[in-house]
Amino acid sequence: MKPRFFLVALALSGALVPFSAARATGLATCDSGSKEGWQSQEKLTAMLKDKGWQVRRIKEDGGCYEVYALNEKGERVEAYFHPRTLAPVPTGSKDHKG
Amino acid sequence: MSGQVRVWDPLLRIAHWTLVASILAAWIATEIKLDAAKRAHEWAGYAALAVIALRLAWGWTGPRYARFAQFVRPVSATLAYARALIAHTEPRYLGHNPLGGWAVVALLALSAAAGLTGWLSVTDRFWGVEWVQELHEALGNALYFLVGLHLAGVVFTSWRHRENLVLAMLTGRKPAARPGDID
Repeated sequence: MKPRFFLVALALSGALVPFSAARATGLATCDSGSKEGWQSQEKLTAMLKDKGWQVRRIKEDGGCYEVYALNEKGERVEAYFHPRTLAPVPTGSKDHKG
Repeated sequence: MSGQVRVWDPLLRIAHWTLVASILAAWIATEIKLDAAKRAHEWAGYAALAVIALRLAWGWTGPRYARFAQFVRPVSATLAYARALIAHTEPRYLGHNPLGGWAVVALLALSAAAGLTGWLSVTDRFWGVEWVQELHEALGNALYFLVGLHLAGVVFTSWRHRENLVLAMLTGRKPAARPGDID
């Protein structure tokens, strides 16, 4: 009976973990279909470099490309782009068509 | 019941519950998909760091039960306590028991590490740097796990010694030491 109580208490700690598991940060989602039609991250990087951005990291998030960069003014930006069109996706967009 | 004694001083309790609120706020903010929530998450992290700094200073200068020297015990003593726990013969501690003491240290260290890597991740130098972001996330997840373990320990110890440790952290008061307790 005593060990069982301890197991119940331990389950309390286990119960917290799924809530905290990593997920899409999800500031926007894109309706981008299969990856066949996606443009490459290299192309996006080159495009942003031309604008004067310093690209630090590109992740896939919610079907969009999520870019961490310093923009042409040296400001930190986290921006979303549509993988098919490479058009900017405003944050807060749901299933952005590009 | 014999009398109650003051164990946790007011500053320690305020620090404890402010840290709880900051960690809870930071956690909730990660679940809200808004720009404003990101800022809230950052401010929760700064608040946590400030409280941790205060708690560390208090651990050297504060009253008896707030001091690390009072409750951080050698590994050998901690293992002996763990063995007694398994045998259901562990004594009641008026302050932190040896495992609880290490939980305090681990919780402070992990939340400080999570706070500092979070801070780094929004500096120009480390913005968008993958290892900083991944490390911050891993530390955050480890912290949530440890919080769960801490809660389990609090519930278990409360049950074992028939005292409400959550209430004690609110009021600062605990039943006075009984024969066999460790003061």
